[in-house]
Parts: sequence; C-alpha cells; structure tokens
Amino acid sequence: MASAHSRMNCGEFRTTYQQDTTIFPTPLARRTALFSVLFLMVAPYFLGPYYLNLGIQIGYYGIAALGLNIVVGFTGQISLGHAAFFGFGAFASAWLNNTTGLPVFFCIPLAGAMTMALGLIVGIPAGRIKGLYLAIATLASQYILEDFFSRAEWFTGGSYGAMANPFSIFGFEFNNDQLYFYVVLFYVVVMFLFGTNLMRSRDGRAFVAVRDHYLSAEIMGINLTKYRILSFGISSLYAGIGGALFAHYLGFVSAEGFTIGLSIQFLGMIIIGGLGSVMGTMFGTAFMVLLPEVMEAGIGLVGGGSGLIQALAYIREMAIGMAIILFLIFEPDGLAHRWRMIKAYWKLYPFSY
Amino acid sequence: MRKSIMLGSLLVASLAFAGSLFAADKIPVGHLACYTGPTSDVGGPFGNGVADALGYINKTGGINGKLLDYDTVDYSYNAPRAVATYKKWMSGLKPVAIQGWGTADTEALVKFVAKDKVPYFSASYSGHLTDPTGKSPRTKAPAPYNFFYGPSYSDTCRGLVQWAANDWKAKGSKGQPKFIHMGANHPYPNAPKAACAAYAEELGFKVLNPIVYSLKPGDAKAQCLTLKDSGANYAYLGNTAGSNISLLNSCRTVGANPQFLANVWGWDENSIQAAKEAGDGVAVFVGAPSWKDTEPAGMKTVREISKMSDSTGKTYRNLHYMRGVCSTFYMKEAMLIADKKGAITGEAIKAAMETMVNKVPTGLEGVCTPSTWTNEDHRGTTSVGVYTSLYNGGDFQLTKQATIEVPRRPEWLGW
Repeated sequence: MASAHSRMNCGEFRTTYQQDTTIFPTPLARRTALFSVLFLMVAPYFLGPYYLNLGIQIGYYGIAALGLNIVVGFTGQISLGHAAFFGFGAFASAWLNNTTGLPVFFCIPLAGAMTMALGLIVGIPAGRIKGLYLAIATLASQYILEDFFSRAEWFTGGSYGAMANPFSIFGFEFNNDQLYFYVVLFYVVVMFLFGTNLMRSRDGRAFVAVRDHYLSAEIMGINLTKYRILSFGISSLYAGIGGALFAHYLGFVSAEGFTIGLSIQFLGMIIIGGLGSVMGTMFGTAFMVLLPEVMEAGIGLVGGGSGLIQALAYIREMAIGMAIILFLIFEPDGLAHRWRMIKAYWKLYPFSY
Repeated sequence: MRKSIMLGSLLVASLAFAGSLFAADKIPVGHLACYTGPTSDVGGPFGNGVADALGYINKTGGINGKLLDYDTVDYSYNAPRAVATYKKWMSGLKPVAIQGWGTADTEALVKFVAKDKVPYFSASYSGHLTDPTGKSPRTKAPAPYNFFYGPSYSDTCRGLVQWAANDWKAKGSKGQPKFIHMGANHPYPNAPKAACAAYAEELGFKVLNPIVYSLKPGDAKAQCLTLKDSGANYAYLGNTAGSNISLLNSCRTVGANPQFLANVWGWDENSIQAAKEAGDGVAVFVGAPSWKDTEPAGMKTVREISKMSDSTGKTYRNLHYMRGVCSTFYMKEAMLIADKKGAITGEAIKAAMETMVNKVPTGLEGVCTPSTWTNEDHRGTTSVGVYTSLYNGGDFQLTKQATIEVPRRPEWLGW
C-alpha cells in the first residue's frame, strides 16, 4: 500500500530551490509542452497551407512580441518602437544575404545580433529616463528608423524595398511552407526557452526588481542603467530574429510595413496575452493573428453582397480595438491569467472554495 | 407515401450533387480589396469597381457560360494578411487570376504568383512591374505574372512633365523652367522620382531639390513657403489625395502657386470638392471619362455595372471606380481568348493578355484606354491624358488639355 500512497499527490511540494525554479511547474505541464512541440512537428503533414501560414505568422510575431514583453512586462519600461526593430531585423537579414551571399541560415542570427547592437544604442536613453519621457524617446527611434528605411537605399533598397531569398543552407532551399514551418518552430522553441530561462537567472530577477521598484532595486545593488539598456538589447534581439524570419518568409521587405501601427499591435499582443508572462505572449499573439481570420470566416458565413462584406470589414477592424479595450477592463492580466484561473478551477473541481 | 418522400429527397440530393458538379466548372478568381486601412480612400471605390464588374460579368453570362467564382477579401493594406489570404486561396479556391490592390500586396506576391502562375492584376502601377523577363538593368526581379491597366507611375509623371514642357512653350514663357518633386519619403511617392527627374532634365527643366511633405493630411505651410522660395514653375505632387488637399490649401494661404501636377491616386473628384478653389488648375492624369461624361459608348455599360451594388443608379462613381472596372474587364477579355483556345488557366490568361494589341474591352469603348501587352513588355499603355480641374462652385469640371504619348523607350522598361 505504501507504493500506491506515494504515487498519490494531493499537491506539488517543493523541497529545494531548484525544484522551485524549474521551467515547467508540474510534470503535466512539461509533458504537455513536449507533446505540443511533437504535435507541431508532425503538423505540416496534415495542415493545409493556410493553417501553416497562420502558424508561421504566430511564430515570427510571437518571437518579436516576447522581446517586447521582456522590456515592457518584465523590466517595466515602455517601448513604442518595437516595429522599427522588427523591420531592422528584416532588412538586416535580407541585406546580409544579398550583399555577402551568406546563407540565410546564418543571416537570421546575425541580423538578430545587429538589431541587438542597435537596440543597445537606442536603449541608452532608457538608462536615464522613464515613464512618458521614455515612451517619447522610443517613439522617436520608431520614426528615425522608419525614415532610415525609406532613405538608406544601400541597405533597404529605398522605395522599392528589398528582396529576401528563401531560407537556405549550403544550397538546400526551404522554399515551401512545410519546411519553413520547421525553421520558425525551431526559433520559437529556442527563443521561448531562452526567454523562460532568462527569467530564472540573476539578470532576469534583476529585470523584475527594476520593474517592481527601481529605487529598492538600486539600493539592493542592481545597476539600473545596465539592466535597463540590457533589457532593450535583448528585446531588440528578439525583434530582429522575428523580423528576419518574417523577411525570408514573405520574400520581400518594404519600408511601408513597419509603422507605429505595428508597434501598437505588438503592445496589444502582450497586453491581451499578459504582461510579464512568457506563455501569455504566445496566447496574445495567436489571439491577434487569429481574430481577423476568424472574423473573416464569420463574414464569409454571413455572406451577401459586396456592400455587406465592406460594412463587415469595418466591424472586423473595430473588433481588434474592441478586444484590447475589453481585455483592459475585464482581464488586465491577460489570457495567461485567465488560463491559470481555468487550471485552478479544474484542479479544485468540484470543491473550489 | 413514405417511399415517394424518400424518392423525392433522393432526387433532390442527386440534383444538388449535379449542381455541385456544375459548380466545379466555375472559374475561380480572387479579389484582394482595401476597404479599410491607410489607402482605403481610393481603395474603396477601386474595389467596388472590381466587385461590381465581377458581379456584372456573372450576370451577363460569365465567360462563355462559365461563371466566375470570386472571393472578395479586405486585407487592410497589410502585406502579411495579403500573403495569408493568398495561401488560403491556393489551398481552397485555387484562383486562375487575382485582382489585387496596392504596393503592399502586389510586391509581396510578385514571387508567389510567378511561381504558381497566377496572373495578378494590380492597381499598383510601379514601373518595375512592367518587366516580365527581368532583362532591364533597372529591375531587380522579373514580374512575369503581373499586369496593370494604365501607364506606370513613372510614365504618368513623364507624361505630365512632357505636358509641362509643352505648356511652358505654349505660354511663351522665357528662361529655363524649374521642376520640383514633392512627396513624403515613402515608397509610393518615391516610385517615379528618379525616372521623372531624369526625363525632366532631358526636356530642359532645371530639377530642384525635392520637397518632403507628410502623407498624412496636415498643415504644410512650411513646405509651401519652401516651394515659393524655390521659384519652381511646375510641382509634381507624389502623395495620395488627402495629403494633397491639405497641401494645396496651405499653398494657397501662403501664395505659392506653381502649376501643380498630380499623380494618378493624388487627385480625384472628392479632392476637387474638398480643396475647393485651392485645387483649381491642378493638372492630373485621368485614365477614364468621368461619371458625368455621357458621350463614350462604354459609359452605358459602366452604368449597368454600377447598378450591381446600387440599383438606383444614382451613386456617383469616381475615376478609381472606372479603373477598377477596366482592370477587371481586361481580365475578362483574356479569359475569353483563353477559353476559345482551350482551358482557362493562369498560364493561358497570361498568354492571352500578351496577345492584346491596342485592345479595348468589348462594351467599354471610350472608357478604357487601348492597351497592348507583349511577352517582353507589360507596359499596357503609355498614353497619358492630362486634365485640369476647376471647382466651379461645386459643379466641378475636368477639362482635357492633351493626350501625351510617352515614348516606349526600351531602356525605360521596368523603370
């Protein structure tokens, strides 16, 4: 009987610090995550190109959104220029590949590094200012970079935009969505694991301390300037890699795409998903990418003439704004929090108190 | 009794099945519209024109009896969403041709449509879409499956500059005329900048430093003062309509009044009404007769097409609507040719497009400009109709000044 008894858990007990800081809080969560990745690895064989495309979109936007969540959700800084970094990564990867002929395989991480370097420079004001002032400083970087994209013909192709080659390594081209899905999946897994691990590290705890109370953090010996700038740098690394994946997927990068609107959309993703939650970032991104598509399908079901389609198109645009407002009012902690509530409900079912 | 019900339902079911078989004989067509998003002011009417024309084609018997199975999707000028829609179509609808919209979707899809062999009819008239083989040193990549109806942005600007040169001579003005490019630092206004400046110089203009003004409507007095100081005689407006209206108002206030030349998406009936007297005299490329024009035979068809979404026939349709109709009808003509030769596939439609010489779609005589496409040159037309506008207290007029035939120079292909 003793063996059966030992298997019966009525809770999660952690007896060491190591157990307390595992990536996955429960064995079930670990198994679910592993299973999800395995599921996604076989997904391209039965998913249609449309769903693959949505998956890829969620992937590259998700990576960039996680970067923003690190700076906004974990470090408590504000950034309104994330789309510009996303764009910089996209152009940098296309430029590296087009000028040096380096395989795209290497260009993506290099573009991430270039964007990180840029983020460290642009992040310098973040070390000195905060709140609204920082918001305006990042807004400025958004506009400066946008202008740079349309002027720097050597780098971005100017008004014509830049062509980006398909993902390749040593002559082998990942030129269809099935193969590209794996590339994005690989980066999603690596970047999300890195993000989660970062938050378990000394630097990650420093970020959270800066967010929670910068004065106390400084008194505890945390170098505020260093960690604020570092946070911007890491956030840009994510944006750059997301952007590079975006570029080689679309095959064409235009300066038109990286506006303040996209920056706000990234903010929307992390607000809906949950500020300061790695998993929430994924939820929020999926929500933002899928909402217009679901609305579109809904419009298709209602059907009707072009007039109706046109009217419903506006409703769809409004729905995105509406979703953000509703989340701010009813679920300010985002989908991640809702998810935890659902889990807690079932854990205690039917004897919740 | 029960038996007869069962038999009846079987019959209905088999009929429905037959119906679905019949439906398989439809011609799938995609329509990417921009009803919302930053370019919706002109994308709306253009998209309506395309949608109505597609509906009208079906109403009048389709392509030799085969109906179009078309899907209209609003992509909000968002390139990733355009690509997502395209992928969705390729896995379901499998369109043989697509009616698209602007720079964002067209550029993002150039490679895809070339690979999948789907002719793409855009309302982006960028010069580099005219080179199907990629021979021109100016083009970075060939665009074999891209078509558009109308002169390219560069050719439109060249036409306007040519008209300006003629105008300068006709007025008997002395000295060297000065030309200036105005527009936001943005892909769209920049598209014809270099090509147009080069031609202006060739025609004897002094080309001044360009002036940058925002694509978003706002106060532009500072830019207008710069324009006034520069002493430019001819100013090309590269932005879209909303921004041009505010610029012209600002320029009227500060007294900067060169001859303004507006691009194809930069001036229309709505802008004339909105800018009032400030817009008087703007020279613009107009590729179609206006709604008020009853003369051209094709306008009767356009009025019928308009009834597809407005049964009263009273809604005023602007120039962009006509362009949408023309773009769709060229596709229809190509499908008719393809059908005669065999199956209507993307490849056959492209081949059919490339056989057209001075073609005007049947029923649209006097509405669409005769256009020619070959397998090496996708400049449909280089003829630029230059009109000037007059507000005239609300009863505006568009007066034709000239039709400029821009030379089809081989070195301008793709530029």
